[in-house]
Amino acid sequence: MKKILFALAFAFFALTGYQSFAQEPELSPERKHDIDSLALEKVRDLSKYVKIVGSKDTPWSEANRVIDRAEELFAPDAEIGVSSLAKTKIEYYKVRQYLERLMRLNYDRVEIDWYKIQYVSDLQRQPDGTYVGVITVFQTFKGYDAEGRLVYQDTTKKDITVYVKRKETQIGGRLIGFWDVMLGDMRVKETALK
Amino acid sequence: MNAFSRFFGFVLITFLCFNIDAQVISGSLGDFQMDETELYTMTKQMSQFISRFNYEEDQYGTKIDPKSPDYHNAAKRKTVLPLLFDMENPRTAGSLRDFFVDDLTKNNSQFFQFLGGKWYSEVSAKFIWKGNTVDVSLIMAIEKEGLGSKWVISNVFFNEFQQYFPQGELAEKEKHFLHPMSHELDFMNIYKAFNDPQIIDYYASTDYQPDYLTLFFYEIKKGNLKFDHVESVKFHVLQINNWYFEVSWFNRAGYNSGWLISNLMYINEEERQTLLKIYQPSIQQTK
Repeated sequence: MKKILFALAFAFFALTGYQSFAQEPELSPERKHDIDSLALEKVRDLSKYVKIVGSKDTPWSEANRVIDRAEELFAPDAEIGVSSLAKTKIEYYKVRQYLERLMRLNYDRVEIDWYKIQYVSDLQRQPDGTYVGVITVFQTFKGYDAEGRLVYQDTTKKDITVYVKRKETQIGGRLIGFWDVMLGDMRVKETALK
Repeated sequence: MNAFSRFFGFVLITFLCFNIDAQVISGSLGDFQMDETELYTMTKQMSQFISRFNYEEDQYGTKIDPKSPDYHNAAKRKTVLPLLFDMENPRTAGSLRDFFVDDLTKNNSQFFQFLGGKWYSEVSAKFIWKGNTVDVSLIMAIEKEGLGSKWVISNVFFNEFQQYFPQGELAEKEKHFLHPMSHELDFMNIYKAFNDPQIIDYYASTDYQPDYLTLFFYEIKKGNLKFDHVESVKFHVLQINNWYFEVSWFNRAGYNSGWLISNLMYINEEERQTLLKIYQPSIQQTK
């Protein structure tokens, strides 16, 4: 419900704000704030999907359906770069590949939790005018064996690229401007925190 | 952890403990019941380093309205700046740091600007060169282009290149030249310049500086040098008058982690220009 209200509010904001979008090359702080919220909403969706895919209670077909949804959050060429304390060289994965690996981890039970803290960078513009920012979130992972013993745990920092692009669409013959938010590359780095 | 580090850790934790409930958590990502103080104190992004350095966000990472009296507030900035130093390193935890903080907050007119130029990222990477893994440092700079900006490679450091261009003894260099009337003899003496390939550059202008970036691109294009992976990243900042500082990533537990100042030097303008030329040879000499 909250998501629907948010989407409606953003659509209204986009409709009413169209004229000023056209004249305004720079994002105002208020608009940036709204876009940050929308980007965080996507990251929240991703965090939920990761928990579902990682859970050993999720049926295989359901996990695959959720992976499809997760892929839709990202730009088509997005990659996930993973490193650990033991292995600092970055391993690259496509979004689907990364989530399928998570689904197939060899533990009897896993616990994936997300910290409340999140950090959203300022948005910077790239040469083509698309805004780009980074959202940082933290996740803990615990893997248990058949006897219920904790056999692996880590805390990872996830730095997620966010692209914000102005797009236009026709609704009822009117050209409507809106800001499209898409996730990009994600860097996953193990922290020294346990 | 030294006494200073413990003191600031205590001040910060006290502050956070009194205010954490008021924090944002509305609409936050997770519901994990865990002490997050270490994550709040961590400087999580270079963007956050800049915001903290300038005092443009509060202790929770919430942006301060530029119209607010808290924005760029000198007194508050003075308490935050010391937290941006690696407190476990005597080079960045002593009186020089205090001098730097005083200098910055006295007039409170110098800020670290993302698009202000004169700050560089050093990307330490591994490449494959003649079948061996070698270290190459790529120096990156932010450049404005089109409607925004981008990172560009401004210089490169690779031992294999540098060793081909040793400084050389001045006395030895002075022995090698083509006399000023050589043109009248159709440069019949120019063969001498090529007798010893190792010192061919002695025949270039006194102002000549080898362009390592062009050499690097050439070797990449020829297929002799192949990228393998990035080892680490750090930043060199020369935006602040009379100061150079380096920012590195500290992946450790405690209240002094993330992007922190790992080196600090007091430099005069001439030294600053020299460093700028090293990081970005194409830079215009400006103050």
